[in-house]
Amino acid sequence: MYGSLDISTSGMIAQRTRMQVIAANLANMNTVQNTKGEYDPYLRRAAMLEPAGHPDAPQGVRVAAIDIQEGALRKKLMPGSKFADAEGYVMAPDIDPTTEWVNGLQASRAYEANVAAAETMKSMVAQALRLLA
Amino acid sequence: MISDLSTAGAMPVLEKMFLFSGQRQRLIAQNIANIDTPNYQGVDADPRAFQRALSDAVERRHAKNGGVSGELDLSSSSEVRMVGNRMEIIPTTPIEGVLFQDRNQRDLEQLMQDMVENASMFRVAGDLMRKNQSMIRSAIAQRVV
Repeated sequence: MYGSLDISTSGMIAQRTRMQVIAANLANMNTVQNTKGEYDPYLRRAAMLEPAGHPDAPQGVRVAAIDIQEGALRKKLMPGSKFADAEGYVMAPDIDPTTEWVNGLQASRAYEANVAAAETMKSMVAQALRLLA
Repeated sequence: MISDLSTAGAMPVLEKMFLFSGQRQRLIAQNIANIDTPNYQGVDADPRAFQRALSDAVERRHAKNGGVSGELDLSSSSEVRMVGNRMEIIPTTPIEGVLFQDRNQRDLEQLMQDMVENASMFRVAGDLMRKNQSMIRSAIAQRVV
């Protein structure tokens, strides 16, 4: 029976990872260079979730991969930048704060749902233990 | 005589209910954990079908013993299979509900309702079993003292 606590925990871990990816996207919204100071715009990332285990023996969810979206760039006017082209444009990360925000909201609600499932499981285990007393 | 203590009356029925709802909680937790997984199809076991199978088993026990004691035979159910004393649920994928853009059939309200119903089924079975046990215990205490 403790197995379903593991399932809820896997859900919480997956949603937390997703939230970290969203936070990284928002933090790097304007990042156009890497740590060496070279032009290397940040590419938007997304956590890919997949069910773990077989349908007959469910084991929760896991993060299959953090997908880096190639070519997720848009032209941004930054005339003072050393990476700007002749017209003053730089290819900057194409990250939409609204999309990230909505995804973050979804992740936090899903996290709450997993917490609720874990709480229910905990009270069920407590009841089962009371049978012995 | 002593073995009848655990197979008398509603005890085996409550035990099966207890096992079933404990197992079903796993499936519900699985569905909640995968609420954002693309292409995920929910798994579940129908509690009504299980209860029908359970009532059939009670009928069979009644027909066999003519009474209300004895083991319950629940091996032929389509919802669960018994491996010794352990119960294994046979999950099915119900095809219903709204299909989202990522081909996930999430339905948070339904999931939460199922979870609460399942937990209360578990609680009812547990409370009744505890009542039964305390009855037996007080009966024994009366004899000894």
